[in-house]
Amino acid sequence: MINWTLYKRGIQGIWKMLLIFAAVITMYFTVIISMFDPALGSALDEFAKAMPELMAIVGMNPVSAELISFLEAYLYGFIMLVFPMLFCILSANKLIVRHVDRGSMTYLLAAPVKREEVAFTQMKVMVTGIIALVFYATLIGIVNCEISFPGELDIGKFILLNIGVLCLQLFIGGICFLCSCIFNDSKYAVGVGAGIPVLGFIIQMMANAGKELEKAKYATFFTLFDSDGIIAGELGAIWGILALLAGAIVLFSIAIVIFSKKDLHI
Amino acid sequence: MAICEVQGLTRDYGNGRGVFDLSFSINQGEVFGFLGPNGAGKTTTIRHLMGFLKPEKGYCTIGGKDCWKDRADIQKTLGYIPGEMVFFDDMTGIEFLNFMMKYRKVKSNGRTKELLDRFELDPRSKLKKMSKGMKQKVGIVAAFMHDPEVLILDEPTSGLDPLMQSRFIELVLEEKARGKTILMSSHIFEEVERTCNRVAIIKNGRLVAMDEVEKLKAAQARKYVITLENEEAAAAFAGEGLHVFEVSKNQVTVIVQNNIKELISVMNRYPVTNIITPNQSLEEIFMQYYGGDKS
Repeated sequence: MINWTLYKRGIQGIWKMLLIFAAVITMYFTVIISMFDPALGSALDEFAKAMPELMAIVGMNPVSAELISFLEAYLYGFIMLVFPMLFCILSANKLIVRHVDRGSMTYLLAAPVKREEVAFTQMKVMVTGIIALVFYATLIGIVNCEISFPGELDIGKFILLNIGVLCLQLFIGGICFLCSCIFNDSKYAVGVGAGIPVLGFIIQMMANAGKELEKAKYATFFTLFDSDGIIAGELGAIWGILALLAGAIVLFSIAIVIFSKKDLHI
Repeated sequence: MAICEVQGLTRDYGNGRGVFDLSFSINQGEVFGFLGPNGAGKTTTIRHLMGFLKPEKGYCTIGGKDCWKDRADIQKTLGYIPGEMVFFDDMTGIEFLNFMMKYRKVKSNGRTKELLDRFELDPRSKLKKMSKGMKQKVGIVAAFMHDPEVLILDEPTSGLDPLMQSRFIELVLEEKARGKTILMSSHIFEEVERTCNRVAIIKNGRLVAMDEVEKLKAAQARKYVITLENEEAAAAFAGEGLHVFEVSKNQVTVIVQNNIKELISVMNRYPVTNIITPNQSLEEIFMQYYGGDKS
């Protein structure tokens, strides 16, 4: 079901993009982890106390002095949501709809390779990228913490937190990929494929910000990624992760079926 | 034996565009010319044959397999030159050709190199920096390099210079001699005249004529525009009993079928200053044969 030649080509295509995102993640992780100070409360917590509304919007609430909660608040409320999401949007566009829009899909289909196989392979490229990014972030997080604050980080919970982010990003990737398969025009695919997760994220930020808007959280799938719940070890948070994973599988499957059945004017 | 069959193929895009109840079949070892003005539905038909589009009505088959359902299977022994060459931007020509071979899971053979030599193509430059002609050559090599049994060629020589066009014709003739079945859409008379067994012409999505090329050639009527010294001479020339198509000032346009000697003898008696044969499109020639606007 996978064409390795196409897979290799796809990885070559997203390689540079992955490097850039990895560099950004390295920078944020290093800088933010270095700001943690278990004794005094971090510099960021000072910010959070000074302007609670603004910091709440981006998911940075003042937290307990634990390192894991600190990482969750300052890296997994914004950085680890937005950057992999950007990767999803860009790579989904690059892998399917761009070829259809430009016409280079012709050559991928004028060969004894099933459309299902083309779409499945391109999906694998995207999923590989998402996994690589989250895996890299996990690694850089653990390494940074162990160097600066040996033994402080609850590694088990941190890995679980990253699995949560992974499933969330796979779900977002599924939305982007589905749009990439539905539309024949890059601008619509990106418009809708980026629009849905970005809107979801904005609703989440609004829900974070104000008590009166708190109910808005039920209108966005970001709620399924309950990072506080994961850290607290709540069962509901685990179900959220599983729901995201199941959703991602459904989205990718629908995308492949649609791509295989649709008319292509190439 | 029919290798490729199109039966009642219909796809309505609205406003009279699309293809309507199109039927034809191509025999093993035959080169089939597929002609028609722009927007007539040639590419739409080809997209159905390639399995890119699902027929609204009717069906098409290649080698007995359904072009929509068994599309990946059919592609094993099919070569295709698309009407528009769009590759992956960042590859060089040779990277692309190697990619396609591996992607198709075909072992490399000597054929790629032979084709590159034949078309004098240096495939080492980036595809996006290539001229239209060079891209076309890459497309030709990609279509023939895996030695397919059936070829679908959508205006295969567009962008090629005359020398390369004739090399391409030679290639098609060789493939034909080897028993390959070829569907070729084209606007170039020489290409069709030299390679095709039969020709179909479609207009507004409908088949308007289909016949053997030999018949077309026998009936080929040519236009000549003869310029005379003055209008009086032109008027007198027009009265000589030739098949006059048009007289404008001192120019007379005549249509000559087999009586070229008659034209020459008439011209000898008049103060002719110039004679030109305007380019006629293949469709025009063909439609003349079928008595003008038959659609």
